[in-house]
Amino acid sequence: MNKEHDILKWFEGELSTEEIKERYPNEDFSVFEKVGFYTKQIDVPKVDSQKALADFNAKKLVKHEPKIIPLNFKTIMKVAAILVVMLTSSYFVFFNNVKSYSTEIAQTEIFNLPDNSEVVLNAQSKLTYNKKLWKKERMLDLDGEAFFKVTKGKKFTVKTSAGTIQVLGTHFNVKERANYFEVQCYEGSVRVTHGSDRTILKPGKTFRVINGKISPVKDFKAENPSWLTKESTFDDVPLWQIINELEIQYDVAVDAKNIDTSVRFSGSFTHNNINIALQSVTIPLKLSYKINGKKVELYNYATH
Amino acid sequence: MDSPKHKLCEESYFNSFYLEHIQAANNFAFYKCGDKAVSLDFVQDAFVKIWENCSKIDLAKAKTYLFTTVNNMFLNAVRHEKVVMNYAKDVPYMDKTDLSPEYLMEEDEFKKKLLLAISDLKEEQREVFLLNRMEDKKYREIAELLDISQKTVEKRMSAALKILREKVEELKI
Repeated sequence: MNKEHDILKWFEGELSTEEIKERYPNEDFSVFEKVGFYTKQIDVPKVDSQKALADFNAKKLVKHEPKIIPLNFKTIMKVAAILVVMLTSSYFVFFNNVKSYSTEIAQTEIFNLPDNSEVVLNAQSKLTYNKKLWKKERMLDLDGEAFFKVTKGKKFTVKTSAGTIQVLGTHFNVKERANYFEVQCYEGSVRVTHGSDRTILKPGKTFRVINGKISPVKDFKAENPSWLTKESTFDDVPLWQIINELEIQYDVAVDAKNIDTSVRFSGSFTHNNINIALQSVTIPLKLSYKINGKKVELYNYATH
Repeated sequence: MDSPKHKLCEESYFNSFYLEHIQAANNFAFYKCGDKAVSLDFVQDAFVKIWENCSKIDLAKAKTYLFTTVNNMFLNAVRHEKVVMNYAKDVPYMDKTDLSPEYLMEEDEFKKKLLLAISDLKEEQREVFLLNRMEDKKYREIAELLDISQKTVEKRMSAALKILREKVEELKI
């Protein structure tokens, strides 16, 4: 231990070679001597101090400049836009409670409302309601024609552009088309509000507005509207309305410019065969028709 | 009054500090890694660090800071694979009077083995050993430079000597 310490001292220069040899006369220090001697001959790279300083000063200046990272507003705007899109779409996905049903030409749809009331939607009609508000208030919007079998309960309201129908639990049909508004009561009682007019309908009664004018209708005896069984029935209805219904049920364009469409028609037409349907309308009115693809021309029998 | 601390921030003072220590710092780095290019790079980076922190560094400790910074840089860098050292050219043999081919060959062999043994030393042993041998630094000075205790320096030196002796004697037999 002591020898080791002395060797360290010798290497540090505290002890001379002579001294250490004196202390340990039997020891061979030649290896250490050689190690010490030749280690000193190791080549150490000489630094050109001035050149290194110049390099350093260049490096120093470059390094010293603080990095400026510009705020990238474009990126922020992109992120913001994505967020807005995500938030709004998720709002509509998760919070949009508006339920909507719609039908195309010649199409009907049957579905139940949350209170189990049954709705049959006739061709080219649309019905919407708010699922969330439904519990509080049974209210829906209708554009077109639909038959309702309402489960008994709180007030049930159907809003159309022509008027509002309120019931407690009945079967009724609402038809709201251009210039034509008709409510028919099949069971229970229905209150129709049209403008300032308020009418209570009993079964078999019809409330009809043509061109903004209320027109009286005879009682009917059916339990369901005929269109549920693929037939449209009319009682003293102007021809233009029948034409309108034909167009909805058969996806055709009816040309009636050569005839008087204000004549009244009572009767029905099927939804299954356009020829039979057109015949059942034209023959009683002494009219004729021509089918040309998706176009149907009505004309007076006599003039041709 | 000018605080001596901030003297380091003066360009002229810093430059003289740089010129004073660049060689020693580079030697130190070289002892550690045995690679000329890498050692100068590290030393330059260490000086940049000092320059950037000039106001925070105690003038008396600047030299130690320089060496410990170089040291730390090596710790952070990937360990060096191969230490390549060489002897200076045209240096005398130990016994200048004996020029027999046998002696010269023996000495050359010894030098070769010594170099290999030094290269194989652990980094911390090599740096202590070479600082002492090459620059005649006292253990106390080395301890100060590396910011470690003198006892640690002595231990490393002792271990280095033991290994070197074993390795060079090995070949003799």
